[in-house]
Amino acid sequence: MELKVQLTGISESVGHLLPELVLISSLVISLLLGLFLKKNKQTILYIFSLATYLASFFIIIQTWPHQPVSLFGGMMRLDDFSAFFKLLFFTGGFLTILISKQKGETASEYIILIDAILLGACLLAMSMNFVMLILSMELISLPSYVLAGFAFDRKSSEGSLKYFLFGTVATACMIYGISLIYGLSGTLDFSSNQFIEALIDSKDSLLFVASFLILTALLFKIAAVPFHLWAPDVYESAPTPVVAFLSVVPKLAGLAIFIKMVLALNLFGQSALPWSMIVAFFAILSIVIGNLSALVQTNPKRMLAYSSIAQSGFLLIGLATMSMEGIHFLMFYAVIFLIMNFLVFAVLHQFENSINIQSVHNFAGLGRLSFLPAFSLLIGMIALTGLPPTAGFTAKLLIFTSLWTSYEDSHSITLLILMVVGLINTVIALFYYLKIPYLLFLKEPVSGSVAIKNSFPRNLFHLILVMLLIYLFLLPGGLMGWINQITFVL
Amino acid sequence: MSKQELLFFFSAFLFCSGLLIAVTKKNAIVVLMGIELMLNAANLNLALFNFQKRGMDGQLLALFIIIVAVCEAAVGIAIILKSYHFYHSSVLDQISDLKEKN
Repeated sequence: MELKVQLTGISESVGHLLPELVLISSLVISLLLGLFLKKNKQTILYIFSLATYLASFFIIIQTWPHQPVSLFGGMMRLDDFSAFFKLLFFTGGFLTILISKQKGETASEYIILIDAILLGACLLAMSMNFVMLILSMELISLPSYVLAGFAFDRKSSEGSLKYFLFGTVATACMIYGISLIYGLSGTLDFSSNQFIEALIDSKDSLLFVASFLILTALLFKIAAVPFHLWAPDVYESAPTPVVAFLSVVPKLAGLAIFIKMVLALNLFGQSALPWSMIVAFFAILSIVIGNLSALVQTNPKRMLAYSSIAQSGFLLIGLATMSMEGIHFLMFYAVIFLIMNFLVFAVLHQFENSINIQSVHNFAGLGRLSFLPAFSLLIGMIALTGLPPTAGFTAKLLIFTSLWTSYEDSHSITLLILMVVGLINTVIALFYYLKIPYLLFLKEPVSGSVAIKNSFPRNLFHLILVMLLIYLFLLPGGLMGWINQITFVL
Repeated sequence: MSKQELLFFFSAFLFCSGLLIAVTKKNAIVVLMGIELMLNAANLNLALFNFQKRGMDGQLLALFIIIVAVCEAAVGIAIILKSYHFYHSSVLDQISDLKEKN
């Protein structure tokens, strides 16, 4: 009888995983298409994957709002929080395929790997159990290591090797940490009462060690200091669309599980460890080190890597407040981060087709020759800095508001330091974010430089993203109201 | 010292030596070996702690981790082979084109 109940539970759970099932079947079909198609392989595969991502996206929209439902005997839980992140992942996948230009012979592998990362990200956002956490984390990591090497050249293979070595060490640390937590709590389900009851009075130093070991892999995934060392190398060497993808989807997936993990280990504020301060500490480190290292970079992709590290710090601020409001603003920031990051990398990719973008000095004066791409890049950079009239400003403003509220409630000095450091660094960030627009518009073109290849679809794509950034600055209410309806209980 | 404590310390020793190997060794393949040691330390822990608890979830997770370790090794060896193709070496100090340029 027991078995029968379990089997019914499993077959009922499968019905809730429709977007993932679509993704899995798309993965298998892409594999077969890659084997059998001879002509127009690339185009067909791209259109097919775009269609599947759209389909999965609309399936999630259709079933909104979700009643929180526990799947597969507590392995995962589907609620609005995870569905929100799943929407972001599919948007990220869609935009990546739109700007990708992988050559025909590797196109199907490229799409399969992206499908696998999206699948892992969806499962990670839903997971409620350490088994699921480890498996979906690996499902994201392993294809990422391979994708980082997809330029198939000397540098790219090195970037992928470094990413792999750092990544596996971080994962191994996390797995050991999980085994310790299992020993202390006796359960792998981190949302269960048993987990909370076992750890609530524990002042064991083992809990301290185990928590930090688990944080290792999560901080690695979102590229936060001190586990950020892979990011500059991978960003510099991997193909630009892959970088855009890796800087958004695995990072947001990592962030989703980071939020769940910290809230679980926080034990409703009963934990012996000051989690708000720990998160604030890593946020401060990421913001300061990311920004200061970005200042001295001359390679734009390397600079954006450090900028992305600093952005992780800003995202973590929302979690450091440990309030529902802060997490809502973090989710708003995540949406804006996705748009502005894709905008900047898409424009860089367009420049890359015409000029060597290894150094910012190659951009000098190109703004006058090709206005539209340069203008889109300017807006993207302004948004990343966090200045009006872009939604980057709204996102930063909201996240600092929640930080201030939280400081007034708790009078924690760490939060005050975080506030001051964050505001000062927004000013510092101006210097490097506006370096490229400065060169584009205010420098004389080097003799012999020509306008970059213009293409109408690409310009339109950039303009849509620019419009979105400005629209969300003027009217953030719609998106914010929608996010505010998302309730989140562990 | 009871048998359990002994095993627990043994797994901690395995983890530390694995981490030490992964951090200090110069050859990428030896680093992979260190990572395997770290994962096996976690497996030993899981199997050990499972003795005192009801259910099988610890041992099941250990099985899953063995699978994860195999996947990591497969992907890792492929990536190391690819970079060997370009650099003719698997020593990490020689694979260092990417670094800060100031």
